[in-house]
Parts: sequence; structure tokens; C-alpha cells
Amino acid sequence: MLVAVASLHVGGQEPAPARGGVQAFDEPLPEALSPRNASYDITVQLDPVRKELKGRETIRWRNISAATTNELQFHLYWNAWRNADSTWLREDRLASPPARRVREAERRPEETGASDVTLLRVTPAAGDPVNLTASMRYIAPDDGNAADRTVMAVTLPAPVDPGGSVRIDIEWTGTIPFAATRTGWIADYYFLGQWFPKIGVLEDSGWNTHQFHRVTEFYADFGVYDVRMTVPAGFKVGASGREMQRVDNADGTATHSYHADDVADFGWTTSPSFIEERRAFNHKTLPSVEMRLLLQPEHRGQETRHFAATATALEYFGQWFGPYPYGNITIVDPAYQSRSSGMEYPMLFTGRSNWLAPATVAEPETTIIHEVGHQWFYGVVATNEFEHGWMDEGMTTWASARVIDEARLLNMQAVRLFDALVPYALDIPLSREVSGDRMPTYRPDAEADAQQTPTFRYRPGSATPITYDKTALWMHTLERHLGWPTMQRVMAAYYDRWKFRHPRPEDFFQVVSEVSGQDLTWFFDEVYRGSSTFDYAVQDLRSEAADAGRFRTTVAVQRLGEATFPVDVVTTFADGSQVTEQWHGRERHVLYTYERPSRAARVEVDPGHVLLLDVNRTNNTRTTQPRAAGAAGKWSLTWMVWLQELMITAGFFG
Amino acid sequence: MVLRAWSGGWRRVAGAYGMGLAMYALTFALALPLAAMLRDQITAQLGNSLMAVPVADGVSYDWWTEFTARATGLGATFTPAIIGFASTLDALSRVVDARYPPKALMWLLVAYLGLWTVASGGIVDRYARQRPTRAHGFFSASGRLFFRLGRLAAAAGLVYWVLFRYVHPWLFLDLYRDLTRGLGVERTTLLWRVFFYLLFGAALLVVNIVFDYARIRLVVEDRRSAVGALLASLRFVWRHPLAVAGLYALNAFGFLLLLAVWALVAPGIHGAGVAMWAAFAAGQLYLLARLAIKLHFLASQTAFFQAHLAHATYTAAPVPAWPESPAAEAIAR
Repeated sequence: MLVAVASLHVGGQEPAPARGGVQAFDEPLPEALSPRNASYDITVQLDPVRKELKGRETIRWRNISAATTNELQFHLYWNAWRNADSTWLREDRLASPPARRVREAERRPEETGASDVTLLRVTPAAGDPVNLTASMRYIAPDDGNAADRTVMAVTLPAPVDPGGSVRIDIEWTGTIPFAATRTGWIADYYFLGQWFPKIGVLEDSGWNTHQFHRVTEFYADFGVYDVRMTVPAGFKVGASGREMQRVDNADGTATHSYHADDVADFGWTTSPSFIEERRAFNHKTLPSVEMRLLLQPEHRGQETRHFAATATALEYFGQWFGPYPYGNITIVDPAYQSRSSGMEYPMLFTGRSNWLAPATVAEPETTIIHEVGHQWFYGVVATNEFEHGWMDEGMTTWASARVIDEARLLNMQAVRLFDALVPYALDIPLSREVSGDRMPTYRPDAEADAQQTPTFRYRPGSATPITYDKTALWMHTLERHLGWPTMQRVMAAYYDRWKFRHPRPEDFFQVVSEVSGQDLTWFFDEVYRGSSTFDYAVQDLRSEAADAGRFRTTVAVQRLGEATFPVDVVTTFADGSQVTEQWHGRERHVLYTYERPSRAARVEVDPGHVLLLDVNRTNNTRTTQPRAAGAAGKWSLTWMVWLQELMITAGFFG
Repeated sequence: MVLRAWSGGWRRVAGAYGMGLAMYALTFALALPLAAMLRDQITAQLGNSLMAVPVADGVSYDWWTEFTARATGLGATFTPAIIGFASTLDALSRVVDARYPPKALMWLLVAYLGLWTVASGGIVDRYARQRPTRAHGFFSASGRLFFRLGRLAAAAGLVYWVLFRYVHPWLFLDLYRDLTRGLGVERTTLLWRVFFYLLFGAALLVVNIVFDYARIRLVVEDRRSAVGALLASLRFVWRHPLAVAGLYALNAFGFLLLLAVWALVAPGIHGAGVAMWAAFAAGQLYLLARLAIKLHFLASQTAFFQAHLAHATYTAAPVPAWPESPAAEAIAR
């Protein structure tokens, strides 16, 4: 019945409804949340001995673009681990530290991955099936890499016009890679992401089907998924969607049937070792959500932390942006060394935890909240991550840091020693402004690239700072510039307008301007189109005796970075009085002079810390009563003890 | 005999407390100028900034990341791992994980080891004699034994180099990684890691014990040949394996006990002023205790070796005599 429902939605040739008299690229169907133009019916069987998936799928695809196409394009992402010259592995070698490169180079033959399509048959809306298996070819639209097989194309026997549809039947064998990044197997744990042949996105300008890159991987159309996964009996399964049926087969396997409406992807996991628990998220103004946790046995005792973090995220994101649209969510606690932690799929995500997880350190919470955030920005607002990675990863980094701060989670620094297996928690609180927004990792790569460069073209090593960190910093800056109530309305409007669709950066900027009532082009020019850094500083502060018992105070401030942002300059005098100047921040230097009855005590540029992108906060203030000597003395003595201990430890060898 | 050597070791350490204090003063004197350099770096970076207030009163991780982002040399070693007991764990982790010391400090550590080599002759000589040799006796012994102990230190350096250059990678990059690369359970991986730490640690300890007794035999028996002392040490350890290991274990227990106490009382984040000096003093007391335990290893092993000789205070070399001035010699005649 569920398959029939899916067919009912996707089989017709009705074009997507028009908006404003123009064909809307991805407008939802009237009876559905999304356009549902790429729906999948998949049957797959896991062979845990051969580490293989054997599957067949039927894709019902409708052309919702304004373009006619005479070919189809598919992602075959497990081919990234088919040979060492795939684009993914080339990029990985450029970005990874030597130890990781060694590890990847040591991948054994039985640990490679592959996706081999053995049958591809296309059935036009009105016509007979045509076997196109022989005409399949690999293309490399991003870099022309002939060794990359992550995108496949076939020429259609007849073009598909806007509004037209086809049925595509595919049979394939997937060789599951060993503990590859974000997918694969280790021991008895499987995380299956990017596992099925997935059709690309046809836009008005043509196909948008990127190769698999190291830092980007998602862009797909919405649809209805019916997936039947056969695994050995005793293996627990977690997947996007909701489990509809479980059948124990005579051959010692079990088939788990899942169904998901209005999702743009499907991920799943299976292992016999999972501990399974369920709890309900109930809230007085938000819809209830069934939370299902698949926990590693060694993390027994961390159930409450996983559920509490998920519930916290559902609550805050639901209140800020809009309710979570699905009734259930699966939390997967990935196996150690699986390299699948911190992954998002619709209605399913992986967390990150350790056997030793100090209570004062916000892990697994940080990762869980981030991944739940992706249900909004990636899952529902389905941006093109290949080109605009900041729109899901960056926004989610900003939002999840805000949740951790608002929920007042314990969030202390820890050092991990002994090959990172042993944590030592320190009594050092981590702030949202710097650690949450990731200033430390942004700072060294601040000028690496302009954010508007397509994400997959970033230098691999600097992609994360520009995608995640810079966005979190400028979104937080925008939040403080506009005020949270306005920012919240911006995000809620953006989510509401673009849910189950594919917005572009300009769409977000337009919502910001509309809701805030401000033209913020200047801001986006700096943070999105530019690659300059922000750095404002106090250059000088002097108070000298003037006439009649008054003092002449001179304040000099300067702009050290190339980027500009309006900032306040606040001078505080010894009698407690203050003067606030609003500087638009464009000049290199500005001088303020005051004649007051008392001397100046201090001056601060941007005292409210609105500009979170300022790479050097230390130089933003100056006081006439400096305490640097005390601070430096204290920390240098602490360091001295460390150094002496290092010497005495080295003395073991003497 | 082991317990007698252990307690005798403490008596010898206590009896020569000045030497212990001198070794402590050495670490202090070597570290102090570098701490002053770091202080200057921090002072310069903070300048007249208000940021100094939270940095002085407690901790500001925001500032910390800003400082280290621009820091080079010594400043780059200023990480949260310097705080309290994290510092101890960091130092131990560096040894067992073969994480080499920061480049900026490498020369200092090499110099420190060199000074230890020089001083160890005087230290063992003093513990062996069990009576004050005064500064001139200490330096005389150190100078007399310098080249012999230097050759022994070179041999020790070679063996340790082989352990860290070849054995450690073989254990941890080949065997351990091969064994654990398919493990999906962190706890099991950690247990394997501990197992390999024990293996590597055992190798380190055996080498350490052999070179300790070589040093002791070289000094006590006034041996000229470092190789001869090494072979004699091997024979001694071979003949008394349980007692040697038992004494070492007893000493190691003392070391672990000290670490446990330090883990409980090590100061964490604190303010400037009195708290700063109190934390510093606590740190120095701990370091003094660490040095005392290190010296006790040598003292108790010396006592244990001498217990196997005819006389418990036997040392082959005569007590060094400070030469009188020619004038005094003339009067004596």
C-alpha cells in the first residue's frame, strides 16, 4: 500500500504548480510537503561476509525544471574508494595530515568501495522500457578527472520535457568501503550513506550533478522513499523514515521496510550490537517526536545524554525556526573508528561519543545538537551543499552553538592524551562567541577564499573554516547586529519560505533584507563575496591636564583589517561617565578628543562584541590601569612548572 | 634486603638533602629565564588591553586561542595542557606516545640531560660513601667520572634512540595499528594501547635499570670502562632479577603514589596575587618530591648494590682530597 501511495504521487505528468505565473523550479505539490519528483522504491540485501549490498531500485523521476533533457545523471559515490585517483581521494591527500594519508594509502584491496550498476532500464511515461546499460558512461563535470567514476550519465532514447516523467529501474552491486569517511563498515557495524545510485538535480540551467568531493556531498530532489533492507536476523536496523514492517525470512535474514515522505536522501545503519532505546519528545507547542537511540554497548549509561541533547535541539530549533516536520528521529551512536560520526540524513543522524566522556565536556551533546540542526538546514531546507556548503553546515554551526549557549550546557575544555584515548577535563569554560563559533580554526584561514566560491572548489584544507566557521561567525554577528528577535524572525521566515525546496544564497539574503527592513548588501559583500578579515584596534589613549581642572583625552582607533563594519567606540572616564561614538568603520584611523573633568580610564572598540569576525579582540581595548604584568606573571609561572616537570620527566633518560 | 635498600635509599637521600636541593635549583634556574621570556611575550601581546583582566583573574580561553594563534617558539608551547595535573599527564603521554618535546625546548632538555650526566657521578659517589663529601668532593667526583659517564650516557642514548626510532613505531604503528584498525570498540582499543604501553614501558624500564646499575658500578667500583660497567650491570641484574625488579617496583609505587596525591591537589585555574604564589609553591613542592623520588631510585639501587659487597659503604676510589695551597704544604713540611 505504501508503494502504491508513492506511485500515485510520482507517476503523473502534472507539472509543478506555478508561482507568480512562472514555472517554479521546486514548488511543493499541493497535496505534499515537497515536489516529490524523485521517488525511490528500493530493495537491498546486505552480505556481511562479502561486505556487499545487492540492490534494485525503481526511481520515478519528474522533470520539474524549465529545461528539456535528453540524458539522465546519477551519483555513484562509493566509487570514490574504487581507485586512488578518484577526485575524493586526490582532495583528501591534499588536505589530510600525513598520518591520515598513510592510513588511506594502506587501504587493503578488500577494503575498497565501489558501486557497479549492472542494469539500467528507462521507461518513458508513454512507451516501452529501454535497456540503457550498455550506454552508461562516467562523466566528471567538476574537474574532468577521467579516473573518477562518481557520476554516471546515460542518453535517453527520447527527451524528457518540463513536466514529463520517466521510470528508471536500476540493479547494482555496492562494495561497502571499510571505514571510509561518513560511510562504510567496521567490525559488525555498518553505516550506509551515499549507498544507492541517486539521480542528480535537473535545474533550469541543466543537470547539477557534482562528483563526490571530500567536503561536499549533498544535493538531491525530494521524493517518497520505500526501502526494504534485508540483513542477517539479529541485526538491528535504523534508517531514514519510519519502520513499517519487519519480516523474518526462512534463510536466517530479516527484511526491514521503511517509508519516508518528503525527504531528499536516505541513510541507514545496521549492527547486531546496538542497544536500542526509545523515548518521546513532548512539548506543549511543538509536535511530539519519537526518539529512537541505537547505542554502542560501551556507551551504556550515556542514553540520557543522547536523548536530552536531541530533545533540547528539537525544542530550540522547533521554537526558533519551525516545528520538526517528521514524527520520528533516529540517533545512531557510531562505532569507534567508523569515521561515520557527525553525519546527517533525513530523520536519522550519527552522534559522536567516547567511552570516557567527562560530564563537563559537551560531547556527545555538541555533535548531536549540530546534527539535529541539519534536519532543518539540509534535510528540509535542501540547499546545494556542493556549491553553497555554508547554507547547511555554516548555518547549523551557528544555530547549534546558540542552542548550547541558551540551554546552558556544561561546556568545558578538555585535553585528550595517550593517543586521544584519555580525556582530562579542565575547568576552562568554552564560550559561544569564540569556541562555539569556531574562531580559533577560522583565524588561520580567514582569507583563504571568498565564501561565494563554490564550496567544492575551495582548497580542501581550508574548506571547513570557510564553510562552517566563517558562517557561524558572521551569522552570529548578524544576529547581534539585528538583535535576536529580528534574527529569529528572519530564520523562521527563511525556513518557512524555503522548506522542502532548494534555496540559493540570494534567496537567503533577500529574506534577511525583507524581514529586517534593511539593505544588508554591504554586509554580505564583506562576509560572503569578500575574503578580507576584520580587525579593529585602539591605537592610542591619552589624558592630559587642560585648563580649569579639566583633562583633554585623545582616543585614536584604527582599522587593521581590509573588511569594514560599523562599531561603537566607548570611552569611560575615571568618574564613571561614558561617551559612545558610532564609527562606521571605513576609515583607517579616527581620532576622538574630549575635554572632561576627569581622566579617561579606558576605551573599547565594539564593547558589545557585535563583530564576532574580529580576529584580534585583545587590541580592541585599552586601559590606563593595565594588568598585563599580573596576568603574564601568573601564566608564565604556571608554564614554568610545566616546563620543570617536562625536564624532570626527561631526566628519566639521564 | 630490598626493603633495607629502599629505606636505606631514603636515608641517603635525606642525608644529602643539599644535593637534592641543588638539583632542584638547577631545574629552577634553567626554567626561570625561559619563563621570563614567555612572560614578556604575554605582556607584549596583552599590552594595555582590558583583556588582561579575565586572564589575570582566572582564565580566558578566547584570549588563549588568540595568543597561541600568533605565538611562535616558546609561546607555541603555551597550551591548556600546562595546567595542574594535565601537565603531568602530558609529560607522561609524551614519553609513552613518543611525542617529541616542542622544538623550542629541545636544546634545553638536551642540556638538562647533559648536566644530569655530569652530576650523576657526584650524586652516586655521595650516596655510596654515605658521608658528606662537600661541594669539592661532589665536583671532584663529577669531573673525574665525566668522560666515563659520558660514554655510558652515549651508549644509553643509542639504546633509547633505537627504542624510540624503531621499537616504538614497530609496536604502535605496525602491531598496535594492525591489531586495532578493525576494532569498533574504543574500550578494547584502549586496553590494547595499555598493553603496548606496558610492553614498551617494560623495555624502557629494563634499559633504565641496566644503565642505572652500570652507572652505580662505574662509580662505586671506579671502573674506567663504560662497556665493562654495562656488562657488569647486566650480570648483576641477571643474577638478582627479582630483587632488582622488586626494588624498582617499590620505587615506582612511590612515584605513582606521588602522582595520585598530585592529581588530587594540583591547582587548577586560579587568580593572580596570593593564589598565584600558592599555586606556584605547590607546584614547586611537587617537583621537589619528584626529584627526591628520582634521586631515591639511584640511592636505593646504590644501597642495594653495595649490600652485595663486603662493605656497605665500599667505594673503590679514595675520598677526593682538596689540594692544599703550596704555602700550607710548606708550613706542614
